[in-house]
Amino acid sequence: MQKVWKNLTKSKEISILAIIVVLAVCITIVNPNFLTVSNFFDIMRSNSIYGIMALGMLPVLISGGIDLSVSSTITLCAVVMGKFLQANPGSNIVVAILLCMVVGALAGLVNGLLVTKFHIPPIVATLGTQTIVMAAVLFYTNGMWISGMPDWFLSFGDIQFGAIPSAGKVVGMPIQILFLILVGIATWLILKYTLMGRGIYAVGGNVQSATRVGYNVSRVTTFVYIYSGTLAGLAAVTDILIVKQIDPNTFSGCELDVIAIAVLGGASVMGGIGTVFGTFLGIILMAVIKNGLVLVRVSSYWQKVVMGIIILVTISVDVINRRIEKARLVHVDVEE
Amino acid sequence: MKIWKSIRENYQNELILFGIFVGLFIVMGIISPDKFLSAGNLQTMCYQMPEFGLMALAMMAAVLTGGMNLSICTGATVASIVAGCFMATTFANENPAIGVFVGIIITVAVAAVTGLLNGVLIAYVGVTAMLVTLGTKLLFEGLGLVVTKGGSLAGFPPLFLKVGSGALLGIPYTILIYIVAIVITYFLFERSVWGTQVYMVGCNETATRFSGIATRRTVLLVYIYSGIMYGLSGVLISSRYCSAKTDYGSSYLMQAVTAVVLGGTSISGGSGTVAGTVIAVAIIQVVSNGLNLVGVNRYMINMITGIILIAVLIVRYVSGALSDKKKIRERAARARA
Amino acid sequence: MDRVFLEISNVSKTFPGVKALDNVRFDIRPGEVHALVGENGAGKSTLIKILSGVQPPDEGAKILIEGKETQFAHPIDAIKKGISVIYQDFALFTNLTVAENIGINETIEQKKKVVSWRAIQKKAKDALDFLNVQIDPNAIVENLSVAKQQMVAIASAVAQDAKMIIMDEPTSALSRGEVERLYEIIDLLKEKNMAIMFVSHKMDELFRVSDRFTVFRDGQYVGTTDADKITEEELIAMMVGRKIEVKRYANLEEKGEVVLRVENLSKKGNFKDISFELHAGEVVGFTGLVGAGRSEVAQAIFGISPADSGVVRVGDEEVHIANPAQALEKGIAYIPESRQTQGLVLPKTIADNITLPLLRTFANKLGIINREKQMSAVDEWIKMLDVRPNDPTMLAMQLSGGNQQKVVLAKWISTKARILIVDEPTNGVDIGAKDEIHKILRQLAKDGTAVMVISSELPEILSVSDRIVVMRRGRITAQMDNDAVTQEAIMQKALV
Repeated sequence: MQKVWKNLTKSKEISILAIIVVLAVCITIVNPNFLTVSNFFDIMRSNSIYGIMALGMLPVLISGGIDLSVSSTITLCAVVMGKFLQANPGSNIVVAILLCMVVGALAGLVNGLLVTKFHIPPIVATLGTQTIVMAAVLFYTNGMWISGMPDWFLSFGDIQFGAIPSAGKVVGMPIQILFLILVGIATWLILKYTLMGRGIYAVGGNVQSATRVGYNVSRVTTFVYIYSGTLAGLAAVTDILIVKQIDPNTFSGCELDVIAIAVLGGASVMGGIGTVFGTFLGIILMAVIKNGLVLVRVSSYWQKVVMGIIILVTISVDVINRRIEKARLVHVDVEE
Repeated sequence: MKIWKSIRENYQNELILFGIFVGLFIVMGIISPDKFLSAGNLQTMCYQMPEFGLMALAMMAAVLTGGMNLSICTGATVASIVAGCFMATTFANENPAIGVFVGIIITVAVAAVTGLLNGVLIAYVGVTAMLVTLGTKLLFEGLGLVVTKGGSLAGFPPLFLKVGSGALLGIPYTILIYIVAIVITYFLFERSVWGTQVYMVGCNETATRFSGIATRRTVLLVYIYSGIMYGLSGVLISSRYCSAKTDYGSSYLMQAVTAVVLGGTSISGGSGTVAGTVIAVAIIQVVSNGLNLVGVNRYMINMITGIILIAVLIVRYVSGALSDKKKIRERAARARA
Repeated sequence: MDRVFLEISNVSKTFPGVKALDNVRFDIRPGEVHALVGENGAGKSTLIKILSGVQPPDEGAKILIEGKETQFAHPIDAIKKGISVIYQDFALFTNLTVAENIGINETIEQKKKVVSWRAIQKKAKDALDFLNVQIDPNAIVENLSVAKQQMVAIASAVAQDAKMIIMDEPTSALSRGEVERLYEIIDLLKEKNMAIMFVSHKMDELFRVSDRFTVFRDGQYVGTTDADKITEEELIAMMVGRKIEVKRYANLEEKGEVVLRVENLSKKGNFKDISFELHAGEVVGFTGLVGAGRSEVAQAIFGISPADSGVVRVGDEEVHIANPAQALEKGIAYIPESRQTQGLVLPKTIADNITLPLLRTFANKLGIINREKQMSAVDEWIKMLDVRPNDPTMLAMQLSGGNQQKVVLAKWISTKARILIVDEPTNGVDIGAKDEIHKILRQLAKDGTAVMVISSELPEILSVSDRIVVMRRGRITAQMDNDAVTQEAIMQKALV
């Protein structure tokens, strides 16, 4: 029991959970509206887009890479879908979603090939594709909004599940949160129960050993970028289902926020470490900071300050803990 | 002759880049001689390039140590916002010369402090540079927003505009500042004791530390230096607008990484030259300015920049792989003989 | 019982300039522990690399597994044929659980897409039960002790249906009790008909676990004997070889004043009560087994990982050195064991490497380096130590091991350090360069430097040292003048 407790306190996830609980309690004391089902659904709905992308970023980080191109991929997919729906208003939701995910997967495939075939460092390769794709999309749209989505599409975004009485209203869970949950489950299943998923952890932990035991490192690396692209595509659908139109400029620069969520959730940019549970906590923490500060009348301008400080403190504490443990390591069995 | 030979050997990559630059310059000149080569346009380029160039030098310093600095842009804006608070006072407006001078000093000093914060966390606490600067990027941006309430901070002495638009003997102040920064950077990184240590740390921190070098101090100074460079860039940016705002210059972040990598600096640290970065900045500038003049859409220009980056990296990889193969073949032949 | 599992003959391995293995042979039967014995540089690790499929042997090698001729193109091939290596660093995924490290291999081999955790858990539990060890299968490997990580590595080999396990210096990082536990495991594996190739040069454990010995010396096969037909002394004689006349440089007469005095230096988990003196003009050899704490003492003196307690005096001054930069100021130099990762900045030039500690002396007041001054100093050092090729712009990674070591030596000699600590100075250096390096160390002592040489190679210690300090399990067990000392006498102090 003591050991379990020790492991719990050691894990980064628990410290993030603790921060969330403390923040939630403080905010609720000042403004009881915070801790209601309807508010929770609201904030999670608007953060589901970042959440889905962060779940795509997670395997990339675990494998020891990084994907700066999620911002351009989500924009690309959103615009492709917008144009597609304008041209084919008689299509259906399944086609729309599949289209986005396929386009995203192709964008990811390009990254994967640049990294594995041409040995370009991931940070540079994805920066390059980000620049190119973002510029191409903006060139094509000229930065103009796309609207006029078919009604059947927009009404799909208003679907809610269940009926929970909350704060005098009856609310259901928005479909966007369902997307987030499904993606979370899928990512968890992949990471936990497929050989590919275990390969991602193995490659991020020790590339040499991974090769030695027979993992195909190139295939694993290519997969994580395809997966990240695919989820950026799904995030594009989710976004349009909320905002109901497409602004090609909103997502420029969002890749760092996405990485921040994954890092807050305990993923390591050095690879090998990260969980779906942690990433969910990262999403919730981000949502609580954004929404909670507004509810307690702290100017929203403090959001980024709080995020920055939390990132700096959690990673510093982690590094210091590791160093203390390393110093305790016994090198020689000294004769007493 | 001998000097030329040694330049050709040691600065091969820079010579190729310079060739590309000259080629692009000539092509632009031919496409649009009246516009591109006009005195007015050349001057415009001189005003624009330094902001970007200083950001690239700030980024390069961090990359040389094997790190990364994602906080260059928000560090620059938070510094100019702090300075802006002073420059918007009635005192500064009544004494414009003192106000502007002190304002510039404050900008650079605050930027150096932001660099100090990065440096302490990276060198002394030992956190990965990428994560530290991701955190400080948000922190600086947030602090800037808190002060400006999301808007822009204006009301600076009009004299401040002169920094960005004035000239000495026909040479813009901006380009003078940039040249001085380049020369100082060159001597610091490629000729000084500290600079040599920076390259050694970037290649192998352990071996350098084991050689009796205070590597933590070396890295700390790199981030302070990086802060000073983006601070100077911040001065130029806010002078151009004569105001300060958190998202000024934010597009320079990824562009700076592009310029540094294009210039031949290794993203894993330890190699790269000031000349390479400076030429890469000039290439990007000529491409964007030149294409802009002939009416190419600015998004198309960004796209071309990205394509150049990826193409150069692919060419570098392929030619490297080919020459490795050649070397292996030669060695095998020698072993047989 | 007499069926041979693995039989190799005619195995050679040539590296540029060095013949690491010269026509060696080896065989092993199921259920036996066959120890491969030899000093550093005897070719033991090269043979391991060949048997694990990491490196191919030269042409003409014959490898038979259960009577069938075979070749390894990839490490996977060796594993599939039933040969598993327990590396010194275990090569585990430290970020993953014990169960996964042990049980995942089967899933990979069968190219399954979906992972069955139940199967992995079972596989891991079976392997751990087989070894009769108590380790939580759900623990993250990173959080385990070194001994338990080793058990995980062995369990992983068992789970891969290994028929032969190669253990490379398996006890070097284990405590006494843990070593006993390992012996039990080895006995158990033997009982279950596993072939074990045991690589070590520690006498006590060799005789404790082995059925047979095969001795290599300088890459050549010396002989194979049954363990019960040979004494410790005879085995040592086989390892050391015919009494080659070792060049003895010792000079016990000329000794200067004390420049380094270490008193009761202790560091938890590293070494205890270390006291010794270094005189100007003498070479002191520090020997003992790998993992006896010699390098740890040196690194404490040099400030890489300072000691917990004790006093270090340089000359008459008590010093508290917290980092290498301070050590440099006090005139202490340290040449680390790992030349490639700690000694040199490989992608940089000879000139950059040699002048690294002393860059400031070539610079003006503004800190700008005078290239001409720097290069002429470098040229002088290259000439003095005869570094080849003598081109200062050559990258350190392009040099041979011996020349790399000369560059590291030049780097530290140039600081005019009063105290020079050299850790395994001739590791991976060919014979010719070895003698040159020994001469350089002697010359330094003659010029008044106090030299401390750490080495596991006894001939080297006997050759260069004036005095010999022997360490064992974190303590000094003997200090003696190098007049009539024999290798056997030192071995005794290092082992028992």
